[in-house]
Amino acid sequence: MLLNELTQALSRLNLAQVAPGDYAKTGCHLEVEAAPAQMPEVARLMLEKGCFLESLTAVDFPEHFTLVYHFNHFRELCRTVVHARVPKEAEAPTISHIYPAANWYEREVYDLFGLKFAGHPDLRRILLPFEADFHPLRKKFAPSETPADA
Amino acid sequence: MLERGLEEKFYVLNLGPQHPSTHGVLRVELQMEGEFIVKADPDIGYGHRGHEHMAENRSYLQFLPNLGRVDYLHALAYNQCYCMAVEKLLELKVPERAEFIRVITCELNRIASHLLWIGAYLLDLGAFTPFLYCFDDRENILDLLDRVTGSRLTYCYYRFGGVPRDVDDDFLAGCKAFARRLRSRYRDYENLVNKNVIFLERTKGIGIISQEQCVKYGLTGPMVRGSGIPYDLRKCEPYSAYPLFDFDIPVGSTGDIYDRYMVRYREMEQSLRIIEQAVDKIPAGPIMAEKVPKRIKPAPGEVYTAVEAARGEFGIYLVSQGDTTPYRLKLRVPSFGNLSILPEIAVDTLVADLVAILGSIDVVVPEIDR
Repeated sequence: MLLNELTQALSRLNLAQVAPGDYAKTGCHLEVEAAPAQMPEVARLMLEKGCFLESLTAVDFPEHFTLVYHFNHFRELCRTVVHARVPKEAEAPTISHIYPAANWYEREVYDLFGLKFAGHPDLRRILLPFEADFHPLRKKFAPSETPADA
Repeated sequence: MLERGLEEKFYVLNLGPQHPSTHGVLRVELQMEGEFIVKADPDIGYGHRGHEHMAENRSYLQFLPNLGRVDYLHALAYNQCYCMAVEKLLELKVPERAEFIRVITCELNRIASHLLWIGAYLLDLGAFTPFLYCFDDRENILDLLDRVTGSRLTYCYYRFGGVPRDVDDDFLAGCKAFARRLRSRYRDYENLVNKNVIFLERTKGIGIISQEQCVKYGLTGPMVRGSGIPYDLRKCEPYSAYPLFDFDIPVGSTGDIYDRYMVRYREMEQSLRIIEQAVDKIPAGPIMAEKVPKRIKPAPGEVYTAVEAARGEFGIYLVSQGDTTPYRLKLRVPSFGNLSILPEIAVDTLVADLVAILGSIDVVVPEIDR
């Protein structure tokens, strides 16, 4: 079974947490916590097991950002969520060289949160105008900060 | 293979943002060598409205109408996903009749979306007549949905815990009549489109996507099914009342445009099967869960829910901190991931083929921009 396989393989990576998730409550079968620096390793393993990157986003908490990666599999339902805490003003390593899908997702996180990905080949804004000087999903962003002519 | 010369041989061509084949404001910057594309760079975000930011600034219920405006063509699936996410956080149980109503209306909406795609897509390829047939059929669905939801496009019909208005017997009879009508039109579609030599020439063997690419780019929906992967959340991660119905997942074999077209075309028949079974088996009973709190204030926690929308997997990642507004709401939209493969498959194709490939992805630009 994919769930056991993933649990075993991920346990070997020395991550902060690899625990079964409460699927009925959270919609995830496996909950993982990793350091941002471990993400390329985790992504490589997930790709090896045939999982695809379902979603990549961030949450802005007062003390840190949390990157949230969801992985799933086409043939066998097994949603793995990986949380990685990134300190404010720190960079996270990119996984776009492993999953090309992450290229746009990481650009989106950079655009909306201002969180940079080290090693990303093309870290431009994606949804907002290139010349924008704000990151709207940061909690301290207030819409009134937008310049009047924007 | 093409022979590549010096950089000066390339020129830049803008496809869009106001181009009929981009179906909304999408711009693709093309680097061209003669008629061939060397590099394609989609530029998105023209219609960015900040839905995710809006979610953090209003109550759970107030955000519900926004979902109908993310993907306006399959709005009910988006309604459903958001309701499922909040219901999961609140631990609400939706009554069976409401689940059946959701399935019927959601599938009708899916057929409407596919019909619009077929019509508009063939228009891209230069065939005008199928468009009129598709819109004629789609009109029947809009009338049916208008009856129960009160709107024709940006539906906001589901509520946390069920649906607000019950359906009547006329609506159910109308669904059956529509199924008969659409089936009687298959022959026209086959003759007009599926056997049309020009259509076959323009779609077979073009825009091929391999299964490996599907995994790497996280594609979903008809994009992966066209490549032969039977990934349909209605079967793979059953939700609502879908496990009760008998239906198949059409898949393609080569992963070209024609396969993606056939997947969508055949999916309409499967949706009709689901609708007919649901209409026959719909139970009596309440349409709203008991004890839905007046003030929605879920306990802290996070949840990921996903539904199969017409374009692929639509997911919602919702973080609650026990407040009356979501702390974070991420919309995982299918078109965003599906479009991200365009730079890879556009290389070395003609502009005319790019239009065919872009259309076959079935992008709804407002949902990419959010």
